[in-house]
Amino acid sequence: MDIINEAMRIFTDAGIGDAVRVTLAMALASVTISAFLGIALGILLEQCHFPGKRILIRINHTLLGIPPVVVGLLVYLLLMRNGPLGAFALLFTIKGMVLAQIIIITPIITSMVYSYAFTTAPAVRAFAVTMGASKWQTQILTIKEMKYEIYFAIVTGFGRAISEVGSVMLVGGNIEGRTRTMTTAISMLKSQGIYTEGVTLGVLLLVFAFILQWAAESFQKRELENENY
Amino acid sequence: MRIINLKKQLGRFSIDIPYLALAKGCIHGFIGENGSGKTTTAKLIANILQPDEGQILYDGLEPRSITMSSQKPYMLHTSVYENLIYPLKIRNIKPDEKAIDAMLQKYDLYEKKKQYARSLSSGEQQKLSLLRTLIFQPEFVIVDETLSNLSAESLELFENLIWEIQKKRCITWVLISHQPHIINELCDTVHFFSNGRLIESGRKEQVFLHSQNPIVKTYVQRQAFGLLKEG
Repeated sequence: MDIINEAMRIFTDAGIGDAVRVTLAMALASVTISAFLGIALGILLEQCHFPGKRILIRINHTLLGIPPVVVGLLVYLLLMRNGPLGAFALLFTIKGMVLAQIIIITPIITSMVYSYAFTTAPAVRAFAVTMGASKWQTQILTIKEMKYEIYFAIVTGFGRAISEVGSVMLVGGNIEGRTRTMTTAISMLKSQGIYTEGVTLGVLLLVFAFILQWAAESFQKRELENENY
Repeated sequence: MRIINLKKQLGRFSIDIPYLALAKGCIHGFIGENGSGKTTTAKLIANILQPDEGQILYDGLEPRSITMSSQKPYMLHTSVYENLIYPLKIRNIKPDEKAIDAMLQKYDLYEKKKQYARSLSSGEQQKLSLLRTLIFQPEFVIVDETLSNLSAESLELFENLIWEIQKKRCITWVLISHQPHIINELCDTVHFFSNGRLIESGRKEQVFLHSQNPIVKTYVQRQAFGLLKEG
């Protein structure tokens, strides 16, 4: 009972609750924007042929491996008072953290959607032509036919967003109640030697990660079951 | 429909057809060995591929009224019913549910109406693909080996369906098949492809029985078109 009471106390603690709220708000906003960008870019990259396309694909693949702390630093330099975007006053805000997350997550979703489109879209387009579909109808059909893969890409992006620490620490500044996320809170609690709260947040993050993984796997499993009936 | 100086390069393989006329209202057979260019030519006609050079003159035929059923048909990630009505949906045509149920019943797919289309057997998928191809009343239909995997019973049903459509609307068909009896039963004219070239066109009797081309002669003998001679 003591453990449950202690867990409840930690969970209802204002700081922890805020960290969860900030994490989810940031992750949902950045994943929503990245999903729109990533799906559009992935499909456009598959469909359009232009000089430099291969280089663009390589750049996108390179961005997959970019250290988040480097993104954080670049966004920090952009948003700092004397930086090019300083006038918008986004540094140490959730919006600023969302910007950094978009730079990290969009290449992941773009890359996954591009790979799926590369294998799926030509067959869908050929089918759509033979059915007499218009260009617009063909685009909608292509997205519909990749829906499970797109869900999977979005879930992967969300998983990345909630577990990010380097860039959000730099851009958000880890301000309690405003920009402190679950991961930056864990980092801070550990440095203060407050392990119980840190572990509780860690367990919560693991639960989120488990739910996301389960959701992603269930999409894939459903797909495989349908294919191999 | 006329094809004039059509050229298409696909890797090392190339299509080169100086002239091919496909008379309206006829059932045409595309025959030849594997990799001879039948399917590629069909895809060029169906607008799936674009030619590098040359022209396809559709002579008033709307591109939307040309359709093609492939050997490995694409099944949408949805039910049998949704797959079947897709051509109607994109044309904003309300499906006649009674007619669709009757059609599914006739072709033994009614029990599987709500089933996931990709879980059907290959033969059932080909039946569904053919029905989907014909549901919006196209003017030009290309059937690429789709009839080959059907059971004898289903094949007879589809042969009858083709005759029925021809009696009512007299549309143009291109049948691609390696099965001599399908070509023999259904086609008016045949077009023989070899190595990306059209090497002979004409009435089926003329091509099967009187061709002077050694490649055609060998193919015909191998495919036992000699049966026709006996008949």
